[in-house]
Amino acid sequence: MTKRERILGWAFIVCVLALAPLFITSNRWIDFLELTLFVAVLGQGWNVLGGYGGQYSFGHAVFFGTGAYIQALLQYKLGWSPWLTLWFAISGTTAVAAMIGYLSFRYGLRGSYFALITLAFAEAFHVVSRSWSSFTEGGQGVQLTLNQDPALALATFQFSFGGPFMKAYGFYYTILAILMISYAATWWMEHSRFGAQLVAVRENEDAAEALGVNAFLVKMRAICLSAAITASGGVYYVQKFLFVEPGIAYGTAKSVEALFAPIIGGLGTVLGPLIGSFFIHGVGEIAKEAIHGVFGDRPGVDLILFGIILVLILAFAPRGLVGILERVWIRLKARGDA
Amino acid sequence: MKNKIKNTTRRSFIQGATAGTALAAAGISGFPHVVRAAAPVKVGVIHPVTGWAQYSGSQCRFGALAAIEEVNASGGIKSLGGAAIDAMLGDAQSKAEVGAGEVEKMADAGVSAIVGAYASNICLATTQAAAKHGIPHAVDVGVSDKIVSRGLTNTFRFGPGFGAITKAGVEGFLAVNKAAGNPTKTVAIVNEETTGFGAGIAGIMTKGLAPAGIEVVEVLSHPTPNKDFRNIALKLKEIDPDVLIPSHYYNEGVLFLRTLQRQKVQPKAIYSVLGGASSQYRFVSEFPDAAQYVMDCNHWFDPRNAGALALQKKTNAAGLHYNYEVFLAYTAMMFTLDAIERAGSADRTAITEAMTASTWGGHIMPYGATKMENGQNTGARPLVMQVQGSDIGVINPSEYATAEAIFPRPA
Repeated sequence: MTKRERILGWAFIVCVLALAPLFITSNRWIDFLELTLFVAVLGQGWNVLGGYGGQYSFGHAVFFGTGAYIQALLQYKLGWSPWLTLWFAISGTTAVAAMIGYLSFRYGLRGSYFALITLAFAEAFHVVSRSWSSFTEGGQGVQLTLNQDPALALATFQFSFGGPFMKAYGFYYTILAILMISYAATWWMEHSRFGAQLVAVRENEDAAEALGVNAFLVKMRAICLSAAITASGGVYYVQKFLFVEPGIAYGTAKSVEALFAPIIGGLGTVLGPLIGSFFIHGVGEIAKEAIHGVFGDRPGVDLILFGIILVLILAFAPRGLVGILERVWIRLKARGDA
Repeated sequence: MKNKIKNTTRRSFIQGATAGTALAAAGISGFPHVVRAAAPVKVGVIHPVTGWAQYSGSQCRFGALAAIEEVNASGGIKSLGGAAIDAMLGDAQSKAEVGAGEVEKMADAGVSAIVGAYASNICLATTQAAAKHGIPHAVDVGVSDKIVSRGLTNTFRFGPGFGAITKAGVEGFLAVNKAAGNPTKTVAIVNEETTGFGAGIAGIMTKGLAPAGIEVVEVLSHPTPNKDFRNIALKLKEIDPDVLIPSHYYNEGVLFLRTLQRQKVQPKAIYSVLGGASSQYRFVSEFPDAAQYVMDCNHWFDPRNAGALALQKKTNAAGLHYNYEVFLAYTAMMFTLDAIERAGSADRTAITEAMTASTWGGHIMPYGATKMENGQNTGARPLVMQVQGSDIGVINPSEYATAEAIFPRPA
């Protein structure tokens, strides 16, 4: 694909997503899109470090959860505006990422060792959030005050009781904005010197260092960017559901969701997490409807079908769906040229 | 008779037969058909029927559907011309955000009310999402008091919340202890700390028991899920408290009580509050020895109510265990259907108003007539039960008691 084709492709995707509410009035499908974009944001966070940098994390929930907790606690304990707390949530999580990165990369942890240390950090944060009840409200979680005054919807960053448009699409455009900013940052990274160095580290860290790349610094920058993107997902989650507790914040579910989207979509590509997320949720919904249509209400059977499809994708499309799309595009172009 | 047949002409026979057939058709399907012509009322049923809460969610779903089946079988919503109830099922997959997504689907499908969604964190998300669309939402199990303290006018809980249960837990224990001659001097609490309900109970029990001169000598917390209770059991053996107060979910409850049995930890009593396994027929039937004499302050039906016993029979006939998920979801659904009946409308606002003003008393729970305050049924209360043999008897309060408390338990 040429650079022009890519830019046109992205412009098309952004237009479709931005204009989707004009054509979709169903609450169900707007919610589906919201959830899909939310996982696409988490996936891009993971992709920056795992896809581009080759540092596979099994505990990305630590960044999601920390962002969510900071966003919730600063409002709950200090009564700060959510528009102010979000900056603290993102920067605070970045600081946590810097600490984890320093401890991991400084001592040369790579591959499965790095994966395990991230898992351990997520679990440690899980335990702290559960046990330090006086600060985190423990297992009962933090419940933010619900605003039902439409006039304060924007000020409180709570759109569920805003005007008709805000109520229907407020959180959709919020997560779309977060997605566009995070994907633009990843695009910039991919085309920057830093991105090239990160890919070099992924391919062969020793060789990259021999060429003068400071691998430690590059990985530190990657983990910080990755954490900032993932934390923004945590901010969105808290503002939408107004609730966070240890299981939601630091449980394995968010870590798994974050890594599935880019692995299915295409590792180390800007588009991969978005396509992966659409595929995961789209197939999930279709499987649910298909199973329901054929067998009636059979809870869990759709998840089995979904699992089989995922295994097939992993087995037969190692470069993910982006790889398949690229191959199709090249063939179509070759036919057109002929 | 013969003469009559002889005198019958072909025309009169055909006329008679046609009239008879028409009458029969009207009798079989015609008039009820007119009654049944009322549009069905859609009610959403959201539970986690996959994921970590699958067992409890499925039990809840059974209870809610049993209520719908019963109302439909008895002629539907009479104030709506016998309108049938059409259940729209949703799976929250044990995740709050998925539960909220199911509400959006149901809002699109035009449900008049929603019943669900078992776990407190899922209920927090589903009630909030339902409020966005003005859909009345009856919470079945979720005990967190945050569910009904956010000022959401669409949210109702028919059963008791955490505060009411723990208060009754302390009072129930003190009553049982007093009746036995106050043998309890020391208590150890073992609680789950992952979801917070266990941690909350530990704090309230500690505070509540102190004025009675009962010392909480140890509070041992564990995460959920937890796969091994040996260390906790050994620690308890060393402390040797008079009474043990556990508080956790079903799986941990089973494992904990079985570990106590294996390690021969034998306090004077095991008294749980919202014990996941303590007053569950499934546990009693699968591990009768470990369950013996365990007391539990928990959700329970009115043991003298015929409807409650009929539901128990129906549940057992379906191969399921009759536990709190079943009868709480059943009652929450019945409360919702009663509100639709009272509202005489499938309109969400009218049903919400009917729920707010509900005085429903024909239920199977020991709550008396319904009185909602900020969405909470103020009469809702738990009971104290004890496993005795293969049965679970109510031991406190006395007006519902079906058995005498055995305390201290035999060695």
